[in-house]
Amino acid sequence: MAELFFFIAGIGAIAGAVGVVTLRNPFYCVLALVSHLLSLAALFLLLRAEFVAAAQVIVYAGAVMVLYVFVVAYIGGGEQPALRPPVGRGQRMIAGLCTLGLFAELMVATLGSGLKAIDSEGAPYRPGFGSPAQIGELLLTKFLLPFELASFLLLIAAVGAVVLARRRGGVGEAGDERRMSALEFARGPAPLGVGSMAEAAGDIPGGVDAESSGSVSSTIGERGGW
Amino acid sequence: MLSTVPTVLADVRYFEPWWIQILKGIVIFAVGLQLVPIVLLAERKLLGRFQQRYGPNRVGPFGAIQPLADILKLLTKEQFRPRTSIGWLFALAPIVSIITAVAAFAIIPFGNTVDIFGTRVGLYGVDVSIGPLYLFAFGAVAFYGIMLGGWASGSKYSFLGAMRAAAQLISYEVSQGLALIGVVMTAGTLSLTGIVEAQQGMWYIVPQAVGFIVFLVASFAETNRAPFDLVEADAELVGGYNTEYGGGRFASYFFAEYLNVLVVSGVVTTVFLGGWLLPFGIDPPTWVDPFVVLAKMSIFVLFFIWVRATLPRLRYDQLMSLGWKILLPLATLNALVTAILVVVTH
Repeated sequence: MAELFFFIAGIGAIAGAVGVVTLRNPFYCVLALVSHLLSLAALFLLLRAEFVAAAQVIVYAGAVMVLYVFVVAYIGGGEQPALRPPVGRGQRMIAGLCTLGLFAELMVATLGSGLKAIDSEGAPYRPGFGSPAQIGELLLTKFLLPFELASFLLLIAAVGAVVLARRRGGVGEAGDERRMSALEFARGPAPLGVGSMAEAAGDIPGGVDAESSGSVSSTIGERGGW
Repeated sequence: MLSTVPTVLADVRYFEPWWIQILKGIVIFAVGLQLVPIVLLAERKLLGRFQQRYGPNRVGPFGAIQPLADILKLLTKEQFRPRTSIGWLFALAPIVSIITAVAAFAIIPFGNTVDIFGTRVGLYGVDVSIGPLYLFAFGAVAFYGIMLGGWASGSKYSFLGAMRAAAQLISYEVSQGLALIGVVMTAGTLSLTGIVEAQQGMWYIVPQAVGFIVFLVASFAETNRAPFDLVEADAELVGGYNTEYGGGRFASYFFAEYLNVLVVSGVVTTVFLGGWLLPFGIDPPTWVDPFVVLAKMSIFVLFFIWVRATLPRLRYDQLMSLGWKILLPLATLNALVTAILVVVTH
């Protein structure tokens, strides 16, 4: 039974990976990557790593790929010409050599260790292995430093993303920020230019006047129109 | 081959023989399947009363078999699809939705392990060691059901609905997960039956009130129910992601949505309302347990309907503000305070 699932998941993972690089439509590429990640999760499950499998699905298939899908569905049209960047002969040579080197290295690793393991039974399963409790303990004792470093790196990336978005005007000016603060939100005024009832009735100062409606249409224009 | 599987799976608390597991799967699925039309009828009847009308009252006594008539009508309709749609994805998407909803239903415990025919049987589909993470994993896959449906329809309303679903799911899944961390830390286990057992003295709705509220609000968004039903906002997006769907495929989406409501009600019941436990030390016989869970679930289902009839739909920016600027800080604070309290009191 386990072998059957292993082959289903393994074939799914390989097919997904091949699909990512060979498919032309970027949306299908993302879907292939999703199926690849789900197959990997199934493989983790076969290894009794329930937590890793769930994390794989939640983080990668759930959060990261959702963002990919989001972006590709918005901007990745199917009618774009296939990406063929001008590649020089030298670059192709180097790429080919690198591929060969990697292939040889993988073959050495596989033939050297993997084939021997086929005939053996594999490591015995200890109850509790791979449980969330054990993983958490390891993360906070043995791997504390790498764990904290990784989370710090993620924090830096998140802050960097906000800074970059702000510089390009994606988040909006400070005034817009103030208007959208949590307290004000609870009280309920709308940001300008969303077509609220109060705005139409002129209850909000500057709601329908020329300045604000001008700015609204200009932002829509920047986005490329609806 | 089959004899080795149970011993392997016994470590992860699948201790039943295989035939019990199959039987259990069928029974749980059947119960879920029967509950959906009841929820459907309750919703339409109650919405009618909230809006000062009768609701369905023509088919059967008091309109009681209206949902069955609706389902029959949907299933016998022609399967059409728009010319711009992508055939196989269009057909696949509702299946993804329904599979994930049914799979998520499996972790709701309707009672502890009991003796049936001389074997120990847990009154739940699976009791996974990762508990709520299982739910979130299937929630993540469920997103693809909506997303693919909206994208493959080849219509702008469907597409916009799917896009809203994407943003909404990411925003509220975080708060939902963080809200549960407090409970997990207090109970000291991820297993849902373990969490119920840990509520013997006091249900977690009392010490984890903040987590309860955040989880409940986020659940409304996760199940695309009013007032967070921007995904299928009928005033602006016709029907949202399922605009182009009809017949059996639409029925699948519909079924998945209501099953998700049931799943969320079940999880809230399990995690915050003590599952099958009764207050004041009342200890009924074991066969009452599933009915206790169902009764508690129905409270939340009624609450879902009540909210739908009462609150207007949020605007998109309000949805994002609420998710990121109120719920997420609240959930984080709740997790932090709970962590400190757990450390101090131990």
